[in-house]
Amino acid sequence: MVYLKCSVVVGKISEVIDGQTSLMTRMRFHGHIMMCKNCRRYFEQFKRVKEFAGKVTSDDLPPDFAHVMGFVMNEIENKDV
Amino acid sequence: MQGDEVHHSPETAQLDALKAGHTSAWKEIMVLHGSGLLSFAIRMLGDRGAAEEIVQDSLVNIYHTIGRFDGRCSIKSWLYRAVHNSAIDEIRRRKRYVDVGIDAEENYFNEAGRWINDCPGWDGLAAKRLDDKRLLTLVREQMDHLPHTHREVLLLKEFEGLDTTEICDALEISPGNLRIRIHRARAALRAAVVGA
Repeated sequence: MVYLKCSVVVGKISEVIDGQTSLMTRMRFHGHIMMCKNCRRYFEQFKRVKEFAGKVTSDDLPPDFAHVMGFVMNEIENKDV
Repeated sequence: MQGDEVHHSPETAQLDALKAGHTSAWKEIMVLHGSGLLSFAIRMLGDRGAAEEIVQDSLVNIYHTIGRFDGRCSIKSWLYRAVHNSAIDEIRRRKRYVDVGIDAEENYFNEAGRWINDCPGWDGLAAKRLDDKRLLTLVREQMDHLPHTHREVLLLKEFEGLDTTEICDALEISPGNLRIRIHRARAALRAAVVGA
């Protein structure tokens, strides 16, 4: 038994790629994906968006936050402030 | 005593040290979470200077109000909640807040739940344009244009690596609401990349 409606399958993509679905749901989902070119494309694109969203900030944000930390620690060490 | 076990958990011991004002405990918190909080604020605001100010003010405020923290959520969630709320205040102050439930998928299907048009592929000519480097650039650009409700869940989940409970506690939303927001955020990001 697979999902019949593409709209239902597409609505479950995030839960599937996040591993938040039951075995039965995954079977019904992947059964539909195997047969439906459009849902398969959409699923692959979602996976790539998830993968790249996780890379967005790692390489373009300087890890140096000494300035911020120094300010806060100064406040903490001068507790009367 | 059995009931005392909870007081010996690392999180509780850390909280006790923070409440006692131990400088080493505060340093540890900042080393652990400072960079993540700052990168989250920068991506939320699109402005490093304002983000630094918000993180500074939030951490100092947390230091002064730690006595009120009841431990119902993790310290990490509480820190992110404070920075998130300050960032949203700043965005609202600038009148740039966009809180809309954009559902990029709502027009894709007919009444029978089938695709109206074919899902555009990322193959053929598009593949040449959408190599990994180009796709990363596009995702980066388009993420900055997402509504804040979408951007914040993607940042917390995909980049900061918070789990479901931590994100729900930080944003004060239910797990069901989070699932919907994450799905809509990815759909909106995908649609933005396709349309770029």
